[in-house]
Amino acid sequence: MRSDYLVVLGLLAVTATPALAGDRLQLTGLVDLRAVYADATPSFLDGGLGRTRFDENHDGLQLGRLMASVRYRLTDTLTANAVAEAYGDGDKNSLGLSEAYVDWRPFPTHPVRYRLRTGAFYPPVSLEHRRAGWTSPYTLSASAINTWVGEEFRIVGTEFEARWLGASQGYDGDLAVVGGVYGWNDPAGAIIADRGWALTDRPSLLFSGLGRPRTDLYYEIDRRPGYYAGVSWRHGETLEVRALHYDNRADPGASNKGGDYAWETRFSNIGVRYEPTENLTLLAQHMEGKTYVGPDSAGPYQFEMRLEAWFGLASYERGPHRLSVRYDHFMTRQDRGFWSEYAYDDAGHALTVAWTERLGERWEVVAEWLHVRSLFAPREDLGVEPRSSDNQLQLALRYRFHLAAGTSPN
Amino acid sequence: MTFTAKPLVRQCRPGGVRLGWACLAGLLSAATALAGDVRVQVLSREGTPVSGVAIVLEAPAGVVRPSGRHSAKMDQLNRRFVPEVLVVETGSEVEFPNSDSVSHQVYSFSAPKRFQLPLYKGVAHSPVAFGQPGLVVLGCNIHDEMVGYILVTDSPFHGSTDASGAAHIPSLPAGTYRVSAWGPRINDGGGTLTATLAVGADGPQTLTLRLLQPLRRNPSPRPGRIDWDGY
Repeated sequence: MRSDYLVVLGLLAVTATPALAGDRLQLTGLVDLRAVYADATPSFLDGGLGRTRFDENHDGLQLGRLMASVRYRLTDTLTANAVAEAYGDGDKNSLGLSEAYVDWRPFPTHPVRYRLRTGAFYPPVSLEHRRAGWTSPYTLSASAINTWVGEEFRIVGTEFEARWLGASQGYDGDLAVVGGVYGWNDPAGAIIADRGWALTDRPSLLFSGLGRPRTDLYYEIDRRPGYYAGVSWRHGETLEVRALHYDNRADPGASNKGGDYAWETRFSNIGVRYEPTENLTLLAQHMEGKTYVGPDSAGPYQFEMRLEAWFGLASYERGPHRLSVRYDHFMTRQDRGFWSEYAYDDAGHALTVAWTERLGERWEVVAEWLHVRSLFAPREDLGVEPRSSDNQLQLALRYRFHLAAGTSPN
Repeated sequence: MTFTAKPLVRQCRPGGVRLGWACLAGLLSAATALAGDVRVQVLSREGTPVSGVAIVLEAPAGVVRPSGRHSAKMDQLNRRFVPEVLVVETGSEVEFPNSDSVSHQVYSFSAPKRFQLPLYKGVAHSPVAFGQPGLVVLGCNIHDEMVGYILVTDSPFHGSTDASGAAHIPSLPAGTYRVSAWGPRINDGGGTLTATLAVGADGPQTLTLRLLQPLRRNPSPRPGRIDWDGY
């Protein structure tokens, strides 16, 4: 085990001292160990063009994730939040922060409640990641859409939300508009163009890179802020609908001294969560977008790619047991800028089946089978068959704990 | 004194008795019990008991009874307000103990009572006084799906239906009362059912309210989701 992980374990141990009264400081910790068996194209995290987190070089025991999510209450309405993570995948950037922001949520005094957060955080796209530290309760591997969100998108900026709270008006639900302004997300698009879609639970960490030898993902190159805008609607506990449009407004002709290019990337995502009964959850998301890079705006040398993906997930919960099944479908299509022998066209689909068994409040076992089929011609550059059929089996043992300490001054 | 008479429920069909928005069958029982006891039973369209319905009997002019209850409890458990609906008399003080392992921040911006009450672990907080009659809708600033209701009434004659769908209001002076029943899952009449009931000296009475519309779905507590979607 590398010294990085010892540092994180040490931090966890320090904070695991007996909790004092109060909960001004709250910590959620996760230790996630895996037994892995994979029959898959070499993983993207090891320089390959595979779509799974693990390949056969990772068979055996792996560190799935160490995570510590901390929230400190500065005042009744202002909290400071940070998520620290460590991964055992040998990537050079496997220890760091994935989110760090302050969240201001004044008490509502009328049916519209405002919220403002500033710092670095995920854009509100995923309907899968409902647990602390951007963790999914359904599967180990995220859908293709939300894998990409985790890999290339972190909002370094400010988000504003206005939410109409229906309960006060006799409606069991609420309706919100959300918008964000940010920088430092100009390279977003580089990974998906280079590799296509993937299904992993390995997001990038702040101000670092991921996967094949490359530079960091979080640069401000053209001094043009990006934005996103979206709506969400919740109806009781049965229905949630989210739609969001993201555009980093990058100048695809711009690059920095280090040779990092700005990728103009925009997408629209719509997602629906429906819980028709107490035990059954149905989730679906659809995303389509475009990414551009290179000068020669609208000319034949500029790289232009379309991308589209969707998934449907059904999850059935009964007591401590949960069974989740997800189908993913994804594609990219290079429309311009053919610099290589092969078109960067990706086409594929995936099936994920996960069984979760809660063992009390702190322990959890998850077994998952992920099957991905994809066709991606640039694999030939690496001497790999363009068509691949990957299988990844994982058994995760997860230990999750909550600690709280410190009283508020009120 | 137990009240054992089987309530007679009249089906609410066209031609049935309707008072206000509800279908009513107010019946006298033959059992011996204290005069002036009233049992209000709320049944769904399918005939199953409806719990958590606030029942208020407004006293006729001139009838006043000293109130016996001036403190009550509205707990937070598994990210729910428990009970979901609490009826208190004007002037009552309500405690918010927070039995959850997580913090809550209870608020109301309803006209009868506006307040903000952080419920942190290890921090004492005072009960909240409700001095104006009306419906107070409670929310949690951390968990938006948490909704609770405190119905503040000037009437000392009130209660909530229990698991059998019944509320017992004892020892009413004789007179004609306006009965109202309110529940957040009731669709009939925008959630409020009203009726009049004559209380005499000749024994306890049962008033059965049977809904015509289906109930809205009742959220079920999910202890396994205590840390989901927080913030």
